[in-house]
Amino acid sequence: MEITITLRGALKKYLDGDNERKVIVPNGCTCDEALKVIGLDHKKVARFGFVAVNGMKVMINDRLKEGDELKAYPRISGG
Amino acid sequence: MTMTGYQNKVLRIDLSAGKHKTEPLNMEFAAKYVGSKGLAIRYMYEELKPGVDALGIENKLFFTTGPLTGTPVACSGKLSIAAKSPATGTMNDCSIGGHAGIRIKYAGYDMIIFEGKLEKPGYIVIEDDKVKFMDADDLWGKGSHEAESILTKKYGTDYSVLSIGPAGENLSPMACINSDYYRQAGRGGIGAVMGSKNMKAVIVRGTGGVKVPDIEKATDRIIELLQKDVLQEDNTFVYDSGTTAFLEACNDGGILPYKNFSDTTDPDWKEYNDGVLMEHRKGKRGCGSCGLGCGNFLQIGKAVCEGPEYESISVAGPNAGIKDPEHIVKFNQVADDLGLDTISAGDTIIWAMEMTERGIHDFGIRFGEADKMISMLEMMAKKEGIGADLADGVKKASEKFGGTDFAMQVKGLEYPQYEPRGSWGMSMAYAVSDRGACHMRSYAPNEEVFAASIPPYTAEGKGQMVYNLGEFNAVKFSLCVCDFWGTITYEIMAELLTIVTGREWKPEEMAEVGRRVLNIGRAFNQREGFARKDDTMPERLAKDPLKSGPAAGQTIPREAFDDMLDQYYKVMGWDENGCLPDELIETL
Amino acid sequence: MKRLKFNKENCIGCQLCAQVCSAMKEGEYVPSKARIAIETYYEDGDLKYKDDFCILCCICVKKCPEGAITMNEYIEVDMAKCTGCGVCAEKCPKHVIRIREDKAYICDTCKGDPTCVKTCPQNALTFE
Repeated sequence: MEITITLRGALKKYLDGDNERKVIVPNGCTCDEALKVIGLDHKKVARFGFVAVNGMKVMINDRLKEGDELKAYPRISGG
Repeated sequence: MTMTGYQNKVLRIDLSAGKHKTEPLNMEFAAKYVGSKGLAIRYMYEELKPGVDALGIENKLFFTTGPLTGTPVACSGKLSIAAKSPATGTMNDCSIGGHAGIRIKYAGYDMIIFEGKLEKPGYIVIEDDKVKFMDADDLWGKGSHEAESILTKKYGTDYSVLSIGPAGENLSPMACINSDYYRQAGRGGIGAVMGSKNMKAVIVRGTGGVKVPDIEKATDRIIELLQKDVLQEDNTFVYDSGTTAFLEACNDGGILPYKNFSDTTDPDWKEYNDGVLMEHRKGKRGCGSCGLGCGNFLQIGKAVCEGPEYESISVAGPNAGIKDPEHIVKFNQVADDLGLDTISAGDTIIWAMEMTERGIHDFGIRFGEADKMISMLEMMAKKEGIGADLADGVKKASEKFGGTDFAMQVKGLEYPQYEPRGSWGMSMAYAVSDRGACHMRSYAPNEEVFAASIPPYTAEGKGQMVYNLGEFNAVKFSLCVCDFWGTITYEIMAELLTIVTGREWKPEEMAEVGRRVLNIGRAFNQREGFARKDDTMPERLAKDPLKSGPAAGQTIPREAFDDMLDQYYKVMGWDENGCLPDELIETL
Repeated sequence: MKRLKFNKENCIGCQLCAQVCSAMKEGEYVPSKARIAIETYYEDGDLKYKDDFCILCCICVKKCPEGAITMNEYIEVDMAKCTGCGVCAEKCPKHVIRIREDKAYICDTCKGDPTCVKTCPQNALTFE
């Protein structure tokens, strides 16, 4: 299925600096699995933050649907 | 033992007598509290007797640097300004950027203490060892920006200007102190303390320096840390967008406040987010010794500011039901010039909006009314018209007019722009902070939302979490190092202190200093009569479920809040009433 | 021959350049004695830049009445010949020469390896 992956901050390097890209991922896969398609294994990124689907924070193992926007944030510090 | 990096000198200015003198820095205090935040609070604890009137002649202003100030340690250019708070009656320490802290250090001082009161409005000129008392007849009544412009044109850009606007002159409990036009010692009415002393401004220039052992080797290592740790990709969002980057993350994370904390998420956040604001950016700026440069100088229409920061964006934007980026910049500019804290002023205005819409009391302003929000700022700074009813903040206004359930404040300091129903630990962090509701003490969203490392909608483990975050910031701000060196560790802090002071500091000592700073702040407040009864949570958080976003349906049950308080008190070694036992106070 | 260049769009006004210059040359973090003075400031609602750094114009070399200043790859002051008369400081178009205790202090690009350039966190200062 096709989804849009949007990356923020330091994570953008996983899309070669692009903010977002349409990506083909396995049907009904989890956020974790979708990110692995672009080479991002959140467990291996020290300052991985959180994921949001269609503008709402979700758990990393929540499943995606066709057309979803998956956004991944790095940790940001400060206030 | 002696430590380098310090000037070993405190400048004490007696405003009543028009005199000044210097004295050695209390190095025992410095050895335990290092500098900046911690050192300031320890001095306050020593010199401000309990029960002092925060706007009276016995309150003092402590302008405090740290051993790192004036060195090229990245992000070390901030200045602590502390006093008893007229908004809350607790201790208050603010952190102001710009260049003033470094210039105070180069003038030869670790700390400047202002005591007493000028007979009539004036400003103080400090140039190395010279101190002059000047009349402020042509400055009093003017906006902070105009005053700074006049002083800079008269004295030159070598001087840093710290000034108040009409809000401070009128003793508003939301008055701030400005420097470099757009940097503030923002909260708790610190500007009113300066106004109560008839001080319009302090200007400072220093031609001296800071000595450290083995300076070439020290500088090489300091710059290596700048290039390798500060300027790494995890911190560079600071240069790219500054705090505007938080808006989207808070919206998606379910902690962006909407219409006076009645909901979270704004589906229209893209209309005023960092992408939109950065299109109007004209320049970048940082503080002295910064490496990152968080300041965005931008202009939209006629509105100009260095900012706006996330707090101001949120309180003038979604929390007020407004989506216009030009309004947000204008709000920032007008508040800065009047010398008003955007968070407290904004929160009070949006509370008034809700009061009007609910028909509880007509303040003549509703959500979405941008122009009225701007004019309300001026009325509040001058305590005129409807502004007079709102000028003292949301706690006092709600005690008079009702609507206490959604008067979002703790101890009289208004809520920063993070919705605790989306990050439960934050409700407790706001409650136990040393100066009322403040997000710079324990920044809970870091763990509960942005890192997704601790579940947000539970009380479990929040005592330890809030403590860990608070300990880290407490020592960090006592060195001091700015918040935005996000990747700094206790190891790096200890190494930097060792390099600069010539005394060996260990990473474990950083944790000890942090804990001690948290305790001395609480001890000050305890002496003023504060206890568990004052560590509060607004009823809205317990009663009103959020309607949208990932935290939809959430409230924070009172039992959960009480549980989090119990946990925190236990971690701190305080009793069930949130009080330090005598043996603990003696160790401070 | 390389010289210092300043790209103001990148400058954040941190003044680390002056701090490290004075560290290397004076043994102390004392920007008032540095051989470079760059700052940003607000004036009349706009962000302004003051960029006092040596551009190797060599006016000081030409004007020195004692012939104490020479230029090869970088400026050098012969302190034995320098009387501290101040003509160089007066003529310097970048106002970056310091006269102290009868001697002139002029940037020598740290003998071709400028510390300010290595330090600048935002690449506002380059050596090209």
